[in-house]
Amino acid sequence: MGADWKLSSVDVYAQSGAAQKQLLHEVNHTFKAGQITLLVGRNGAGKSTLLETMTGLHSIHKGSIMMGNESLWIKRGRKERLNPEVTMKLGLAMQNAQSQWFAASVLEELRYSLKPYQVSGEAAEARMERALNEAGLPPEMLTQDPWTLSGGQQRRLSLACLLACEPEWLLLDEPTAGLDAVGIQRLCAVLAAHRASGRGAVVATHDLDALLPLADAVAVVSGGTVRAAAPAAAMKHAAAAPQALRVLAELHAEAALPLLAQERSGGAPWPAPSEVAAALALALERRSAEHKLLEAEQLSVAVHKAIQAAGPNDSSRSKQMMLAEEEAANVSEMPKEAISQTSGLQSTRFDPRALILSYLVLAASIFMQQSGLGLLLAGLATVLLLIPFRAFIRPWIGILRAYAIMIMIFCVVGGIGLEPLSFDSEKAWPIVLRFGKLFLIMMLGMPLLNLMTPYRLQRAIEQTFGWLGKLGVPIHSFALIVTLIFRFIPLLTGEWERFAKLAHARGKADTPLRKVPLKNVHAVLIPYVRSILRLAEQMSDALEARGFGYKKGKPVYAFRLRFDRSDAWLLGIAGGCGLGLIIIRSLL
Amino acid sequence: MGEIFLEHIVQIELKQVTVIPPLMHEGQKRKPIIQNVSMMIHKGEWIALIGRNGSGKSTLAKVAAGYRAAGVTGKVANHFHSAGKGKPLPIVMQQPEAAMVGATPWEDVLLMLEQNELPAGIIPMEAERALQSVGMGERLHQPLGTLSGGQKQLVAIAGCIGMQTPLLVLDEVTAMLDPEASSTVLKQVRELHEKGATVIWITQKLEELLETDRLIAMDEGTVLFDGQAGAWFERSAPSAKDSLCEQHGFEAPYAAQVAWELEERGIRLTPFPFTAETLAKAVSCYGR
Repeated sequence: MGADWKLSSVDVYAQSGAAQKQLLHEVNHTFKAGQITLLVGRNGAGKSTLLETMTGLHSIHKGSIMMGNESLWIKRGRKERLNPEVTMKLGLAMQNAQSQWFAASVLEELRYSLKPYQVSGEAAEARMERALNEAGLPPEMLTQDPWTLSGGQQRRLSLACLLACEPEWLLLDEPTAGLDAVGIQRLCAVLAAHRASGRGAVVATHDLDALLPLADAVAVVSGGTVRAAAPAAAMKHAAAAPQALRVLAELHAEAALPLLAQERSGGAPWPAPSEVAAALALALERRSAEHKLLEAEQLSVAVHKAIQAAGPNDSSRSKQMMLAEEEAANVSEMPKEAISQTSGLQSTRFDPRALILSYLVLAASIFMQQSGLGLLLAGLATVLLLIPFRAFIRPWIGILRAYAIMIMIFCVVGGIGLEPLSFDSEKAWPIVLRFGKLFLIMMLGMPLLNLMTPYRLQRAIEQTFGWLGKLGVPIHSFALIVTLIFRFIPLLTGEWERFAKLAHARGKADTPLRKVPLKNVHAVLIPYVRSILRLAEQMSDALEARGFGYKKGKPVYAFRLRFDRSDAWLLGIAGGCGLGLIIIRSLL
Repeated sequence: MGEIFLEHIVQIELKQVTVIPPLMHEGQKRKPIIQNVSMMIHKGEWIALIGRNGSGKSTLAKVAAGYRAAGVTGKVANHFHSAGKGKPLPIVMQQPEAAMVGATPWEDVLLMLEQNELPAGIIPMEAERALQSVGMGERLHQPLGTLSGGQKQLVAIAGCIGMQTPLLVLDEVTAMLDPEASSTVLKQVRELHEKGATVIWITQKLEELLETDRLIAMDEGTVLFDGQAGAWFERSAPSAKDSLCEQHGFEAPYAAQVAWELEERGIRLTPFPFTAETLAKAVSCYGR
């Protein structure tokens, strides 16, 4: 029997972004070895975050995570490191863990997973064979390219990669999504065997139909907090009731099925179809006998009463609905908060043309500066102008710092004279001036992306340069491409982060960073490019299906940008500052 | 009376349509994706199109929507007027993210309608109306990133409605959604259908069927079954286990399984119920 897994008052915050967003709050939970625990809750409740926190893919801000007597995080020097004693005992399959392959063959793929465990030779072969067998893949498949496998086979392979490591704990995120009936049965068998050998599993899932019958314990994740619940109670917290319960609830509502509790056979969360049918048949028989004696109305009243008496034991329909509504209300409130946080300056406040013009004026006036005093004043103006937009600068601080350090290094290198060893400020000064100006211009440009949406930028280009279309310049296609590129960039970074996590989880790196470990970059790059190409293909298919890209007549503008008062203010202030700086330049 | 009238308006007619993809490399077998499919799509129908992966259901839907596919033979005729003037009808697909271009629902639908060349004057109004019709009226200007997967799908569907499409083609739109989001999307589309929209609903989940649906089941490019959904589940004898659903290895809804068990116990419910609601109704009406 393995060790229990204990989380005490764990807090986790999102690592990036301007405002630190709390993802998990005061999580206290013990996952018992030898048990299968389901994590249930709505999308976005924090199920995946919890799994990733337990495996060290998120660093924790407070609290502790212990497996038995070993802590997941250990201090080594000043930095926290992951404890290999713990990470080697767990295997995580992330959402959509399939179709993210690193190697050229199934064999290599299994070896990649096994590498951190330093098993080799016959022991490794035996492990791989067993894992493939358990996951339901034939051994001939070892030589195949994982990308040529069907979707279902790829899912099995990702399970095999986990099993080959023989982890004490299996952590699975939505393992049944997209799996067919046979695949789900096999997965359940694997989980049951895993438990039978005294080891534990934590499974985040929506699919209560398949997995609840197997669960020993349930943890409900909601709004970043976690609490334990009895398996039977899980139904109430699930996003949607399993089919069986919907059927039972309807039968109860129609007073067609009395006394459900009796039919529930040992341990299963809901009765099998045959059990329900047997109970219904019995009830119908009784009813037809009583029918001769009683008025139908009286009967239904009696049955209703009987059900109300037995009510508290069952997840009654109305109660479930109320709970669902209540939570739905909570959910709908959340996005509003998110909006109000950023409502200070929205991306629709300014006309992109005004923004770009202001930027050009300021950049030009800064660039004209030739003296230290001019640079200082330009810097002052930049800082003052950026005060209203400071929230948009915060995410870039790392880059700004790196750039500042680079300037200093260049100055030192540029100013040093070797014979005799001296520092010549005459030589260093022009470097400071030149890079300093670029630094300010860069800083001014940083909030621009947050202040316009791609669509508004597209319209700005079209409204300004639309006349070029008459000369045969494909300006409208170009403007649309700009929009699409802006749309694609976040997809690219999101995908990279996903691969980074995957490489981290499978390679058992001990760094807390969610960056790709340097030694893994070469392994990640090709699958990443492949995945991006697939993404692009998906996107172009979807765009075509929505009617984009068919031959156009005259361009249609349903919406036009208008220059309004806030744009005038923006341009006025930028123009004033620019003029001031130009005057200073000519005076100095 | 009105219903009978509606039944007769044929929107799309497929006659012996076969799609054989061109050869990509030597030695590849020329296997048709769909083979000899003929059908009529009537105004106001809900067509549930089911089948395993690779059975040709997406291709069939694309052909019906008017997309050019390589290697199509047969006749595809449509009898409708859409805002798209001869262009294929828009299709909503699995990935809610993939085709979103705007930064807010409002921008996204606007962009789509512009690209489809609707008259500029009516676009903003149409876009708002379409978003309201799928229940997104309060979230017109909410950043797309803060929407759930289900809400994104509703935005994509709103785009099709804004195009005044005569036929909504939805290709496994709930496949990537959690159960709650799936049921929200399904409910909204059902509402649109009640208001008169024609819908092709492609799915893997039989529990999304209703009794009034027309069910088309595909296998290896041919149509296995085309008819009222109830007939799909009917067995020739109570314990024969020979309904088309079972024969072709589809996972029947829980309610249908209960109803089959009841049949084996001598309780035959008509019409055969396969949703929770109809099962409960059929049981409570049984023998009365």
